[in-house]
Amino acid sequence: MGSRRNNLIILGLVVVLLGVATYLIFIRQPVTESTQLGLDLQGGVSAQLKGTQTGGGKVTREEMELASNLIRQRIDRLGVAEPDVRVQGQDQITVQIPGVENPEEVIDIIGSTAQLGFYRVLDSEIQQGIPQDEVQDARTEIEEDLKDDDAFQDGDAKVLFEESPMPGGGGGTYVAGYVLNETPDMTGDAIQQDGATVEPNPTTGKRQVSIQLTGDGGRQFGDLTQEIVSEAAPTGQPGLLAISLDEDVISAPQVTEPIIGGQVSISNDGLPEGLPEDEATQLETVLNTGALPVSMEVVAQNTVGPTLGTASLRSGLTAGLVGFALVLVLLLVIYRALGLVADLALLIYGFLLWGIIVAVPVTMTLPGIAGIVLSVGIAADANIVIFERIKEEIRRGKTSRTAIAAGYEKGFRAILDGNATTIITAFILFALSSSTVRGFAVLLVIGVVVSMFTAVLVTRALLGLLSDRGVHLPPGMMGVSKKSIGQQQPERVR
Amino acid sequence: MFPNLDFVGGWRIWFAISGALLLLSAGAIGIGRLNLGIDFQGGAQFTVVNAESQPSDEEITGALPSGIDREAVLIQTLDEDGYEVRTPVLSEGERRAAQDALSQVFGVQAGEVGVTNVSAAFGGQVRNQALQAVAAALIVIVVFISFRFEFGFALAAMVALVHDILMTVGFYALVGREVSLVTVVAILTVLGYSIYDTIIIFDRIRENSPTAGYNRRRFDEMVNVSIRQVVRRSIYTSVFSLIPITALLIFGEATLADFAFALLVGIAAGTYSSIFIASPVLALYKAWRGGRLRSPRTA
Repeated sequence: MGSRRNNLIILGLVVVLLGVATYLIFIRQPVTESTQLGLDLQGGVSAQLKGTQTGGGKVTREEMELASNLIRQRIDRLGVAEPDVRVQGQDQITVQIPGVENPEEVIDIIGSTAQLGFYRVLDSEIQQGIPQDEVQDARTEIEEDLKDDDAFQDGDAKVLFEESPMPGGGGGTYVAGYVLNETPDMTGDAIQQDGATVEPNPTTGKRQVSIQLTGDGGRQFGDLTQEIVSEAAPTGQPGLLAISLDEDVISAPQVTEPIIGGQVSISNDGLPEGLPEDEATQLETVLNTGALPVSMEVVAQNTVGPTLGTASLRSGLTAGLVGFALVLVLLLVIYRALGLVADLALLIYGFLLWGIIVAVPVTMTLPGIAGIVLSVGIAADANIVIFERIKEEIRRGKTSRTAIAAGYEKGFRAILDGNATTIITAFILFALSSSTVRGFAVLLVIGVVVSMFTAVLVTRALLGLLSDRGVHLPPGMMGVSKKSIGQQQPERVR
Repeated sequence: MFPNLDFVGGWRIWFAISGALLLLSAGAIGIGRLNLGIDFQGGAQFTVVNAESQPSDEEITGALPSGIDREAVLIQTLDEDGYEVRTPVLSEGERRAAQDALSQVFGVQAGEVGVTNVSAAFGGQVRNQALQAVAAALIVIVVFISFRFEFGFALAAMVALVHDILMTVGFYALVGREVSLVTVVAILTVLGYSIYDTIIIFDRIRENSPTAGYNRRRFDEMVNVSIRQVVRRSIYTSVFSLIPITALLIFGEATLADFAFALLVGIAAGTYSSIFIASPVLALYKAWRGGRLRSPRTA
């Protein structure tokens, strides 16, 4: 058993640590805000994105890092809380945004490559007032018509679509298909840095997104619009300019004269207010942060409603607390005075663990709660291994003081080996798994390490201090019946 | 405890019990009872809690957009007013339409319908990662035990581990619970727990082992005594771990309950296998080695 001084140092350390934990959990901020909750417990959205080269080639780690930075900037501009964006493996990005109210919009923004394209429209077809569930059929029909067209068959062309609510609020959807050159005549590279702004149209007052082009871009745009006008002249119809974001046409205004000066605006004159507000903000955000270097595909997505999150949290907490309380009671019943010491150590354990979770901070998730519940079992077990040893020594007729010393000495090796394997498994889990599993692994490791401290060192210091004070624990108070003392002898290995 | 039970000598009985249960498990897996969740196969899952209305299964499937294969839709009820609807992989548009439709059927706001959508390719990746993690953990643990004990102990621990994992997966298949990423976490936990339990017993065997010479009768008896010395601790530890886990099973919602179920089976199997599988295997291995080493001399 450690010397009296060591025992006092350990207990003093415990008091200091408890003080620090109390400060971190209760005083630094209100206790309800101290623990960072994962999105499965407070609601939110997570998405797994996979990057691919537009041509189908391999993406590099650098491109993914760049893309993840851009995605983080986009989310920051939305002003939602604390996004967690990280590159995973060679070609994937995990995005986690807790407590977000409009997950759909967020996924749209982070996932879109935001490659802007300007095209001269070669041919088009429009269907109006289509009910929601027939839009797909309308698109197929338009696509078939347009693919028979000369403009499509002549060269390298593709068909892109525009969908928007019917102008004037007549109900249904406006579906238009456009035959365009395979490669855009101009791309988003022509936009000046931070050149996109949402503003009302100076004459109509409707909401639009104005784009300021670079000097070069302005000249190219002048040429493009000039071409549209002259190509359209023989037909007697005004030519169309299609502006696309990724593979969707967002606007296709008529061009009646060449546009010079490098100012372009995207609007929707069909709606009473112009572009819907959220659509305009999205457009501004993605245009200003620039295009992602690779195409992103959402391979997995998880949205948790706030009610579901709260329900999970409540059930997890109830289970954790009930389990914890039962463990405390059972330890007391089986080990009496020793159990009391172990209970005290477990309570210290729980509190220190909470303190570490707040200090790091570790984000609490459902698998995390499971990790904690398991570590409570491990913490209790360390005491069981030692206490069973102590009881065994007492049955062999040793005094409680020597029995306790022997119990700790012999029990510790088994506990160390056992916990080492648990930590090894946890590290492997952490290295090879997705972020869901990581929360579990992290808490398991922290829990095991803290439990070695409280269940071994702290209980030993407490028991040591008791015996130094002259408190003698009779066998009955350690859960050993008087009858069984001395009966263990025949069981010894010969 | 158990002063007259011959843990080593009765190996045929223990192995037969395990064999029968494993056969049952293998059968359940064989007839396709293993219910792989969307984490592994890809698909979409919609979760609603606190639903305002209680529609029938037909009403729920009926409300889904027309493009979705009705046959492949799975509906589960959670607690009193929670629902889980699983469909095959959906496109972005289909998912939104389905989410809107379901929020109307259940009378909740669209934002309250939780959605998990996993593409088939990502599911495959998750499955491979999980298998890799289990394999890597097994290898590292063998090396660790060989280093801290000796190879015979590692071999015996490994047999017990594989036993526990098969048992857990088999029972999962038997009751038809959904295998998700969380199940893999549970299995890896069982793996860690089982090895821990085995090591506590092996530690005692190591401590009681004579420093030199091997005699089969003496060694087997020593293993029996070692088990008797620690069996109470094994049982207590299982009970202490199973208490919070049972609480999770009772109070936890779907994910936690699935996790708890796997742990419940795994830890029970782990405790059993440390005593009745790992220790006899170690004794049998020692006997086989001993016999092989000695036979040239006696011949």
